[in-house]
Amino acid sequence: MIKTTPKSHLFRLAGVLVLFAVAFLLVKSWATPDSWNFEQWYRGDALIDIAAQPLTYGGNESCKDCHQAAIKKLRKFDHKALSCESCHGPVVDHVKGQKKIAKAIVDKSRWQCENCHDERINRPKGFPQFSQAGEIGKSIKKHKDLEAETPCLKCHDAHDPTP
Amino acid sequence: MKMDNSKIKLQAASPPLDLKAMAEPNPNSDSRREFLRNVLSGATAATVLMVFGPGATAFSKGAKKSSKAQHQFAYVININNCIGCGNCVRACKRENNVPAAQFRTWVERYVTTKKGVYVESPDGALKGFEKANAEVRAAAKRSFTVPKMCNHCDDPPCVQVCPVGATFKTEEGFVLVDHGHCLGCAYCVQACPYGARFINKDIHKSDKCTWCYHRVKAGKLPACVTVCPNKARLFGDLNDPDSEVAQVFEEDQWMVLKPEMHTDPTCYYVGLPREVV
Ligand code: HEC
Ligand code: HEC
Ligand code: HEC
Ligand code: HEC
Repeated sequence: MIKTTPKSHLFRLAGVLVLFAVAFLLVKSWATPDSWNFEQWYRGDALIDIAAQPLTYGGNESCKDCHQAAIKKLRKFDHKALSCESCHGPVVDHVKGQKKIAKAIVDKSRWQCENCHDERINRPKGFPQFSQAGEIGKSIKKHKDLEAETPCLKCHDAHDPTP
Repeated sequence: MKMDNSKIKLQAASPPLDLKAMAEPNPNSDSRREFLRNVLSGATAATVLMVFGPGATAFSKGAKKSSKAQHQFAYVININNCIGCGNCVRACKRENNVPAAQFRTWVERYVTTKKGVYVESPDGALKGFEKANAEVRAAAKRSFTVPKMCNHCDDPPCVQVCPVGATFKTEEGFVLVDHGHCLGCAYCVQACPYGARFINKDIHKSDKCTWCYHRVKAGKLPACVTVCPNKARLFGDLNDPDSEVAQVFEEDQWMVLKPEMHTDPTCYYVGLPREVV
């Protein structure tokens, strides 16, 4: 028989506490990822995971192997700061490896231009705007007589927009 | 000074339990008063240690501008150049598979009138902005568009509140979310003063702008910067004196959003009007 003393409940309590502590440390070491960065408190491998996300947009340099002429032309005129992919869709939809896999988007609608050029009160001063009534942008005679469906491309080239 | 005091108190607290005194309770005994005092000072010392001690600094260390990292990235938004086309919103959505009706970046249109300031962001400006009607146009004194996104703060509140260390600031300046570790508790969503975080509807984890970490590591610019037609969005390395963002600090006046929050954003605004919140 185990002899009980007035202090034995304290030993039992201590035993339970030690057990808890050991269990806590075990679970903690099991749950802490190997690559944990204790200084800045994050899982080091997270950076590898996040960097592994595939790229969708390639930038204008991703078109230069195959569309040298279009790039050269765009660069010369007012649209030089524009991204090819903002009008033609991301490169991954069009090219895989060094091969064309699908047609690039060629949107000839007016929205393609109006998105940037239709008059809006919020546009910065001096930004060229398409304004039929001439309320905000410069009043241009050729624009005034336009019908609602006339495509902008009838008079403007998207890559060299100056008419 | 506080640290030293607390250590002395801690030592005084080390022989706390006088079992005999506990066994024969005597309300007037000195030892009981001493015991209480010891417990109290021990608790105070522990609190002081938690607030000022090494545990407290673990969050901000290495995230400061003084860090030794090779790159120190920064983002610049120039309000004077933004035309409100929404290219950035569309590109971000596509690049990062952001679910419908959620946004890592969005654009707000401000219209100031005599009666007050009106702000709108229809569908995050995914399709740009509508033409204002005649009434608004007559009332408007001025109007401008403000792109918004995660400010990649130097002192990010979202990182402080994360209970599991799933969001963090890298030495190069990115504030990122570890989707492998995030619980989706949304503490960070509430902590962000800029409303830049959300719980992604598809994966049920906290999500936000990463400055396109994956693109930057591959030597590209973030998707939004890539498609911006008018240089309203710039991204670069402050350690490189030739980079466009470094030049902003030499030439232009810049501001940050909500400086009173002391979050130290590393996303700087040029030409930010006073009305913007
Ligand atoms: C403002 C939007 C816009 C931008 C920016 C733009 N394009 Fe285009 N692109 C168009 C439109 C619209 C057409 C159709 C032109 C037509 O048929 O009249 C087109 C046609 C083309 C074509 C079809 C062949 C041709 O020349 O007719 C190619 C190839 C092309 N673009 C490549 C590029 C490349 C490469 C870039 C970037 C350097 C670029 N585009 C930038 C709008 C744009
Ligand atoms: C691997 C080479 C390659 C790359 C890289 C490439 N393209 Fe193309 N692209 C082609 C080929 C091939 C065609 C079809 C032949 C033609 O009409 O010139 C084409 C056609 C096009 C067209 C006309 C519509 C169509 O699909 O027929 C557009 C617009 C276009 N490309 C845009 C782009 C843009 C923008 C990029 C960069 C983001 C790009 N391309 C990158 C090979 C490429
Ligand atoms: C992504 C935004 C964007 C789109 C889309 C866009 N443009 Fe532009 N456009 C610009 C910018 C930026 C400039 C240069 C403005 C400047 O010089 O300040 C410009 C310049 C121009 C100019 C020259 C204005 C001048 O000062 O002479 C014309 C014309 C023009 N665009 C027409 C078009 C047409 C037509 C389309 C549709 C095919 C189009 N743009 C699509 C952004 C855009
Ligand atoms: C009938 C031919 C025609 C059509 C169609 C047309 N434009 Fe123009 N546009 C012109 C001419 C001509 C100019 C140059 C006027 C000048 O410089 O005085 C011009 C100038 C511009 C400018 C420069 C304005 C400025 O402030 O410098 C923009 C922007 C523009 N057009 C956009 C558009 C857009 C967007 C569309 C389609 C909705 C469009 N245009 C349709 C003929 C046309």
